[in-house]
Amino acid sequence: MYENIASNKRKTVFLIIGFLIFIGAIGYAIGLYFEYRYGANGGYSIALMIFALIIAIAVSFWSYYGSDKLVLKLVRARQLQREQNPRVYYMVEGLSIAAGLPMPKIYIFEDNGMNAFATGRNPSNSVIVLTSGLIDNLDDSELKGVIAHELSHIKNYDILLGTVIVVLVGMVAIISNIILRGFIFGGGRRRSSRSSGGGVLSIIFLILGLILIIISPIIATIIKLAISRSREYLADSNGALITRYPAGLANALRKISARGKIEAANNATAHLFIANPFGKKSKNFFSNLFNTHPPAEERIKRLEKMALGVGVK
Amino acid sequence: MLTGIIVLLIVVVAILLVLLFAGIGIYNSIVSLRNKADNAWHQIDVQLRKRYDLIPNLVETVKGYAAHEKETLQEVINARRLGIDAKTVTDQSKAENMITSTLKSLFAVSERYPTLKADQQFSKLMEQLNGIESSIAYARQFYNDMIMKFNTRIQTFPGNMFAGMFKFEKKDYFEIEEPAAREPVKVKF
Repeated sequence: MYENIASNKRKTVFLIIGFLIFIGAIGYAIGLYFEYRYGANGGYSIALMIFALIIAIAVSFWSYYGSDKLVLKLVRARQLQREQNPRVYYMVEGLSIAAGLPMPKIYIFEDNGMNAFATGRNPSNSVIVLTSGLIDNLDDSELKGVIAHELSHIKNYDILLGTVIVVLVGMVAIISNIILRGFIFGGGRRRSSRSSGGGVLSIIFLILGLILIIISPIIATIIKLAISRSREYLADSNGALITRYPAGLANALRKISARGKIEAANNATAHLFIANPFGKKSKNFFSNLFNTHPPAEERIKRLEKMALGVGVK
Repeated sequence: MLTGIIVLLIVVVAILLVLLFAGIGIYNSIVSLRNKADNAWHQIDVQLRKRYDLIPNLVETVKGYAAHEKETLQEVINARRLGIDAKTVTDQSKAENMITSTLKSLFAVSERYPTLKADQQFSKLMEQLNGIESSIAYARQFYNDMIMKFNTRIQTFPGNMFAGMFKFEKKDYFEIEEPAAREPVKVKF
C-alpha cells in the first residue's frame, strides 16, 4: 500500500526529470542543427536548450497542478451535485468513508459507452469521472465495485502519475510529430540546395534525428504500459476489499468490456480508464503490446477467485 | 588485543543502534495506527451527529400527521438521547443500534399514513437518512478495519512488547447487534 504510494510519487518525479532531459536534449539538438545549417557557431544550441528547459519546467508545473482540469475538459465532463443524482452521490460518499479518503468530486460525461476514471494530484484534490452510460446500466453492487476501484487508484496515487502522464506524454508525442515533419521537409530542401560539403555531419544529424523520432513514441508508450497493467489488478483487489463484494466489480467488468467504447478517449487518455476505452481490440500482437489494460477476462477471473476466498490477503 | 576489543565494541554499538532504530520504527507505526483508528472513530462520529441532527426534524414531521403515535416517537427520542450521552464505544454502538431499530419501527408506523408518505419534506428526510445510514455502515467498516490492524499490531510480536511498556490498550470494535443487520446485503439483478 504505502510502497505503492511511494513508488507512484517516485515514478512521477522520474517521469518529470525524464521529460526535462528529453525536451532539453531536443532543444540542444535543434540548436546544433541550426548552427550547422546556417553556419552560425556557438550559442544557439545552449540558448535553445535553456529555452526548451524553461518551457518544460513550466509545463511540468502546469501538469502537476492543472492536468486534472485539462483531462476533465478533454472528455467534456460536468460536476454532479447531490440533488441531480443522490444514488451516485451517496454511493461515492459512503465508499470514500469506507476507504478512509476525503470525498472526491464527482464528474459525469454523456457517453453511452460504459467507462470510468479518476484524476487529480492527491486524495484531497481528486475527481471520479463516470459516463452516463455506466450509471444507467449498472446496478448498485456493480457501480459500487467500479467506484471502489477508482477510489483505490486515488488512494494509491495512481491518479497523480496517470494524469501527469497525459500531459507529458501528449507533449512528447506532439513534439516528435513536429520534428518528424521538420526533418522530412527541411531535410529534403537542404539536400537539394546545398553542396556536398560537410555531408557526413548532415547525415549523422539526420540519423540521430530519425532515431529520436522513432524511439520517442515507443518510449512514451512503454511508460504508459509500465504504469498501467499491474496497478489495475491492485486497484481491483483493493476495491473489492472496500465493498467486500468482489462479484460486484466482476459483473461490472463483464458489462463494461462488452460496451466500454468511449468517443472522447484517445491515446493520451486511454490509460486512465477502468477498462480499455477503444472497445474490444483485435488479437493482433502489436495491439496487445500497446494495450494499456490487462484483459478483462483475467481481471474477472482474479476477482472471482477472491470471492471464493482464494488469494485474499 | 586492543583492536579486538575495539572491533567488538563497534559491533555491539552497531547492533544496539540497529535495535534502537527498529524499536523507534515499531513504536511510531503503533502510534500512527492508533491515530488512524482515532480518526476513523471521528468519521463515525461525524455521521452519527448528522443523524442526531436529522432526528428532531423527522420526529416533528411525523408528529404533524401521526400525533397519537407518541410511544414510537418517544422511543426514537430516547434512543437519540442515549446515543448523545454515550461515553464508550460499546455504549455508543448499543445506542446506535437502538436508534436504527426505533427508526425502523417509526417507518413501519408511517406506512399507515398515506398523507405522511406523500409529504415532500418526509421523503426528503428519508432519503437523507438512508444516505447517512449507509455512510455510518461504511464508517463502521473502516473503523473496524483500523481497529483490527491496531489490535493485531499490539498483540503480535514485537508490537506486544511495546504495548506492555507504553500501555497501548486494545480497542473495542463497533459491533452490530441486530441479527438482521449481520446478513449480507441482498443483490438484485
